Amino acid sequence: MKASAALVSLRNVTKTYPGVTALRDLSLDFYPGEVHALLGENGAGKSTLIKIIAGAVEPDSGSIQFGDKVYERLSPHEARMNGVEVIYQEFNLIGSLSAAENIALGERAGMFVDFKLMETRARELFDQFGIELDPASLVRDLTSSQQQIVEIAKAVSKKARILIMDEPTAPLSVSEVDSLFRIIRMFRDRGVSIIYISHRIDELFEIADRISVLRDGAFVADKAVADTDRRELISLMVGRELKESYPARARPPAEALLELQNLCGNGDEDISFSIRKGEIFGLAGLVGAGRTELAKLVYGAAKLDSGSLLMDGKALHIRSPRDAIKNGIGLIPENRKEEGCFLDMPIDWNISFPSIRSISRHAIVDLKQERKMAEHFSALLRIRTPSLAQKVKNLSGGNQQKVVLAKTLATDSKLLIFDEPTRGIDVGARQEIYKLMTDLANKGHAIMMISSDMEELLGMSDRIAVLAEGRLMGILERPQFSQKLILELASGIIDMEVTA
Amino acid sequence: MNGKNWLGMIPAILKKFAIVFVLLGLLVFFAALSPYFFTIENLTNIFVQQSYVIIAAVGLSFVMISGGMDLSIGYQMSLVGVATAAMMKWYNIPLPVSLALGVLLGICLGLGNGIASIKLKVHPLIVTLGTMTVFQGLSYIVSRQSVILNLPATFKFIGQGYVFGFIPFSVILMFLTVGFASFILNKTYLGRYIYAIGGNEEATRLAGVNVGMVKLIVFGLCGFFVAISAMVLFARSGSAASSTGPGTEFNCITAAVLGGISFKGGEGKMWGLVTGVFILGVLGNGMQLIGMGTYAQYIVKGLVLLSAVGFDVYQKSVRTIRHHAKITEAA
Repeated sequence: MKASAALVSLRNVTKTYPGVTALRDLSLDFYPGEVHALLGENGAGKSTLIKIIAGAVEPDSGSIQFGDKVYERLSPHEARMNGVEVIYQEFNLIGSLSAAENIALGERAGMFVDFKLMETRARELFDQFGIELDPASLVRDLTSSQQQIVEIAKAVSKKARILIMDEPTAPLSVSEVDSLFRIIRMFRDRGVSIIYISHRIDELFEIADRISVLRDGAFVADKAVADTDRRELISLMVGRELKESYPARARPPAEALLELQNLCGNGDEDISFSIRKGEIFGLAGLVGAGRTELAKLVYGAAKLDSGSLLMDGKALHIRSPRDAIKNGIGLIPENRKEEGCFLDMPIDWNISFPSIRSISRHAIVDLKQERKMAEHFSALLRIRTPSLAQKVKNLSGGNQQKVVLAKTLATDSKLLIFDEPTRGIDVGARQEIYKLMTDLANKGHAIMMISSDMEELLGMSDRIAVLAEGRLMGILERPQFSQKLILELASGIIDMEVTA
Repeated sequence: MNGKNWLGMIPAILKKFAIVFVLLGLLVFFAALSPYFFTIENLTNIFVQQSYVIIAAVGLSFVMISGGMDLSIGYQMSLVGVATAAMMKWYNIPLPVSLALGVLLGICLGLGNGIASIKLKVHPLIVTLGTMTVFQGLSYIVSRQSVILNLPATFKFIGQGYVFGFIPFSVILMFLTVGFASFILNKTYLGRYIYAIGGNEEATRLAGVNVGMVKLIVFGLCGFFVAISAMVLFARSGSAASSTGPGTEFNCITAAVLGGISFKGGEGKMWGLVTGVFILGVLGNGMQLIGMGTYAQYIVKGLVLLSAVGFDVYQKSVRTIRHHAKITEAA
């Protein structure tokens, strides 16, 4: 198919994590002098793929080939020896060192540091890129696009032959994207193989030569950019079967519980919609679209710049999570372990924690009532544990999530915000969480569900709002649900007339 | 079946109360070496000597359990002590008023530390490293670098007096302090909040707790207990100088760590703290009795701390490894 030999090839690579298959018997070739884009939904396996090429993750089976060298287990060092350099979304730079020092980091150059030489070499690289940047300036004083340039220069100075870029345009403005693309083309013309990951389909047509579409960890199609268009790519991404079954339930129309009016802040702009009683309201969007940020705004955990919230038609003033809880809003956060629970504390301690004041008399905790509360909710949510005195860190992910849910329910929440409710949870527990969410909605709770799992969104939601870059792109009613439409909205290709 | 269970729990009990056994071991050890050690007189002596350390350490442990640190407590004691003495002796303020103002001053110093670390968003370790020097300067200005002699007898009672002729008043204060602190930490929702902030501050905030307010209360409580401790210490010496107090902070930190109050916060019990203080106290007293010099004592105390911390870290890693092994087996 190609005249030149591939620089790196994956052969039948499979990688599974507990409960998910991240990559399924995947084979792909990356050629020199080519910008090869990887496209797929969240969870399609792109990140796992680049981690495997970088040696950060070991595949369960299959091999990685660099020319005629075949690796079944690849270490980060071996990957680097073969010319692999990765520019992650989170930069790997040291803020307190200069740009030049960062570029030279990790090189062995004798006993003493030759700052002059370092800076001259950095300047040469920046000149090649056509970028004005003082090599002596500290990285923490640079803008994110300048930091990215430093990352790229670092990779180049390591003689990268395979350059992997994960969402490189995410932190950049339009003009900065242009100069990034210029640099990328420069490398391509020098024979570097560039593996490019981006959610922004539009820019792929500008920079990529070839696009591989992944879905559920499997290879779907390989297209030359000239032979395809956006619509085709999206339909390739979404040709996904719905495997899981979702609990059926009646969906009667009801009045609004919470209304968001022109909310601005925390990176979100002018967001208005209302969530009804007994409804599961899905929130779709790509990573960084501002969904978690919106949840934090509603929950009082981030500062609201302008806009207002109404509950049951009355204005709500929420300045802290405490205000939110008082008004019946509960959050089940995305990062269970960091934000949701106290791992070193027992289950009953965790469940009662947010409502501990209400079960205290004269500041003294009523232990009997605490035990009753913990027993009630652990039975309700079927938390599986030998004892409620068990530390939460000894529970499985699914049971930990139930503990977080239990403590939120114990505060009498009318509106529950689930941020990625089933992330890192095995299939059986996932079904249970779905059942619980459905039961709660049937009892009249309103649920706002942020999810990056398309199947879950389509299966569980009554309506789905789609966000892109901090803006509301549209709200879909159940008959309008389609993966394609959601992805088009989330990618910013189309923008619906918003009717809330 | 029951008997078997009980026997099976012995290793766990040994582990959990390891430092208590260390203390008992030390008691036996010194009793064997010195005939004077295990006398009522000497044991009372140890209690009296350690009472002010325990009271201050209780204050510090509130801060440490909430994930903070207070290095300034030694100079807080110094400042509170000389200020109270100056009020009584130089300004002729009545004793009860002087005491009340002294305790109030302690609370204010604690709150100052709290406000500074919340407003500056700097870890209390750094903040109190700074305020420690500020309190030192203030203390020497208040005392005019002199020793305030002949404190009133009523004041000295706090540190030297006996109730019913045989119970030292300072030891009563010590028990009250430990009881009060245990009550706050174990029985009240404030106690839950203090452990929670030390364990996971962000989760605490998201659970609707006013984290800043709790931290302020914690520092205020610390200042309160440190002031009481200062009263006991200064009353025992009967005179007031700015050099009295400093050094207590490291005694307290050592005892707290020995007693299982971790640096990262979120865990620790009062019985552990008390045991920690007594291990250090018994070591000091016992080594004195068998004729070891002060400097040799420093070395032993330091080594005891290191082995206690090492043991703790080792235990935790063993537990983690076993736990992982269990998970792997299950999977």
